[in-house]
Amino acid sequence: MLFNTPQFFLFLAVTIGLFYVSPKPLRRWILLIASYFFYMSWNWRFAPLLLSLTAIDYGAAIWMERVVSPGRRKLFLVLSLAANLGFLGFFKYYNFLAGMVAEALGRDAHAFALAIVLPLGISFHTFQSISYVVDVYRGEQKAIRNPVDYALFIAFFPQLVAGPIVRAREFFADYYQWAPPVSEERLRGVLWILLGLAKKMVLADQFAQIADSYFQNLAAHPGSPAAWSGVGAFAMQIFFDFSGYTDMAIGMALLLGFHFPTNFRRPYLAFSITDFWHRWHISLSRWLRDYLYIPLGGNRHGSLMTYRNLMLTMLLGGLWHGASWNFVIWGGYHGALLGLERVFGRKHFQNPPHGLLYPFRALITFALVCVGWVFFRAATLHDSVYVIQQMFSWHGEARLIPVWLTCMLALSLVISLFEEKTEWIERLAHGPAWAYVAAVVTLLFSVELIGVTEKAVPFVYFQF
Amino acid sequence: MRTVPVLLASVVAFAAIEGAVFHTGLYPWILTPDSSTGDLETILRDELERSKDGPQVLGIGDSRMLLMPRVSNQHASETGYTFGNIATAGASPRAWYYMLRDIDPTARLYRAIVLGVESYDDADQGADYNDNQSDLSYVVARLRLTDLWEFSRSYDDPDLQWKAARGILFKGLVYKRDFEDLLLHPRYRFQIAKLAHRDSFAWHYGYTGPPDTLADFHVDWEAKTVTAPPNADPGLVKRLKFRLVAVLPPETGDYSRYMKYWLGKVYERYRESPTRLIFLRLPRGGFVRPDQPRYNPHSSIRELAAQPNVTLIGEHFFDSLEKPELFRDELHLNGPGMVPFSLMITQEVSRILGPPR
Repeated sequence: MLFNTPQFFLFLAVTIGLFYVSPKPLRRWILLIASYFFYMSWNWRFAPLLLSLTAIDYGAAIWMERVVSPGRRKLFLVLSLAANLGFLGFFKYYNFLAGMVAEALGRDAHAFALAIVLPLGISFHTFQSISYVVDVYRGEQKAIRNPVDYALFIAFFPQLVAGPIVRAREFFADYYQWAPPVSEERLRGVLWILLGLAKKMVLADQFAQIADSYFQNLAAHPGSPAAWSGVGAFAMQIFFDFSGYTDMAIGMALLLGFHFPTNFRRPYLAFSITDFWHRWHISLSRWLRDYLYIPLGGNRHGSLMTYRNLMLTMLLGGLWHGASWNFVIWGGYHGALLGLERVFGRKHFQNPPHGLLYPFRALITFALVCVGWVFFRAATLHDSVYVIQQMFSWHGEARLIPVWLTCMLALSLVISLFEEKTEWIERLAHGPAWAYVAAVVTLLFSVELIGVTEKAVPFVYFQF
Repeated sequence: MRTVPVLLASVVAFAAIEGAVFHTGLYPWILTPDSSTGDLETILRDELERSKDGPQVLGIGDSRMLLMPRVSNQHASETGYTFGNIATAGASPRAWYYMLRDIDPTARLYRAIVLGVESYDDADQGADYNDNQSDLSYVVARLRLTDLWEFSRSYDDPDLQWKAARGILFKGLVYKRDFEDLLLHPRYRFQIAKLAHRDSFAWHYGYTGPPDTLADFHVDWEAKTVTAPPNADPGLVKRLKFRLVAVLPPETGDYSRYMKYWLGKVYERYRESPTRLIFLRLPRGGFVRPDQPRYNPHSSIRELAAQPNVTLIGEHFFDSLEKPELFRDELHLNGPGMVPFSLMITQEVSRILGPPR
């Protein structure tokens, strides 16, 4: 049940309807049942897995709080982490590791492979669980006593399959002091859902066609303009796809009285790679910082260790996206760029430049990010190298992005620039009614007339 | 701001604009005339705007129904009837029903409707007519909200039923490709739309057909081979082989059910009217395969023939036209073939109807 299907909207309407007509004690059950229904609509066989992980972390957190001995607390933490990472490792990385072992032994790469289906959203809910148990271990979060409450935190359908990765204290702050959304929040919720839907169907899915046609047949599109168009199209696809999904998740949560953190802040307007990671998939960057980079030592042990920690964090962040060397290289590439920016002085890359330098730096950053996306999208390392060679070959004529889509992109850029300055989308809900109505009508027409509606295209991040 | 009134206002505003643009003639006015919807709309508009003095006869069918009104109407003083034709390439009986409903809302405008069909036996065509998605594109501008249930339910595939239902509600979804093309070339679109409004009648009624023939082609029925001249279009050769020597699709009865439903609806519209429905079997081609479908006494058309205002033109009436030199491809008469075809229809229909009263 994809977010961009009529079935999902029916499910959402029924869930919201039932949620608000039910007596308060029943509401948590309504959301939990709806969330499991949503999850099981993909593959019911994975529900026991989700339930098991939930039970393990729920129990581990309570035991951690009960025992006094630091050693025993650590034991429960280790057990919980082992369970979470064990499941994640098996489902996501077994075949990757088995392939490497097989090749090392001179066997066929698939010699030890298993037919494993990746459970939907496992990377996201595992990280969410880990953040909870670590927070409880650190004493930053009280263990949740009610198993239904904890199960809902893990399985809450708006963010179950692709985030944002919500912290327990954020979720439960809303949950335990739940108040119905005020009118302005309801309007904002609807607007975020429509905006996300438009980003996905109007822009991401259109760019996906160009990116797919390029990456699926590289030999047919030689030359620099084709390579930049194909890679640029993927850059747009992945941004509009993922941020569209997140916008929808934020909107749905708002309609149910929950406030999710911002996950994207116009990342392609970033003026440095450091700035990019403050704007792209913010909930993951925050998780990596708090549960990996800082525990590794962060920047507390000198420059060399800082670079090491930065690189390790980004390599693992890359690997989190998928079991392939391409993702590791993508992570390493960003780690290296972040390291270089530190070498040249952090303040240059943390504070926005003035005047004409800003668009120049933003363009350079976007180009660097695009080079990274090649590893993210290309099927093999060989393909990645070929595409990068083509990008910098500076010959060829073919341009893959049609004029009207370029115009749409220009329009999106203008909207983003205004949003960067004024956050007017957020303000629409408390502006004049006509402006809100005009925005909704425009979004609906864009989906109707330009959106890819022939078939529902899955979200890119659902595979992670 | 209160939520419900603002959201309601948004929905109402969207519905009002959608309705005004796509559920009226506004958007169809600028459709590209070479799309399926644009072609059909242009043909219907020409017929609606054609002056209809005296008794009228209307032809309908697909691209093979090459009745030339220009040729037929040269004999109007003798026959007393004026001919029009709304046959549209790719239009199916399901589309014919909605076309006729709009072109002849009272079901009394024409003395006869002449329907050109592939055969009188409802032989299966090897294509799933019920689930022909393009029918929605053809008639989208003709569909009303009240057609939502029947039209969408006429598809078997639930996915197509859904697409049809949402297409009737939100016609912009069906016009999507046309709209994207409009965004790409807005100036050209307005120019071509304007040109089509001005000249389409002349394009349509002045069409003389191409001179190409199949005279140099040979078919060996025993060996099941088609021999083509060296410069022949490979696509045409492939299509000829498919039409002439490929194995016929099995009889499932699906096509018959489809024809009975949609021709039955056409008949129901004209049951109480003075309009006569006249069916003709189209010339089968320059070469006629020996294994013709078996005679089906219960076919849609033969059953309809029992009704008082339905007539079938003799099944073999056009056999004399089934010559390679009168066909341009595996299906269509060429220019020299269209003339006798039109004349034969004119004379036979006039004979069936008798002198105008």
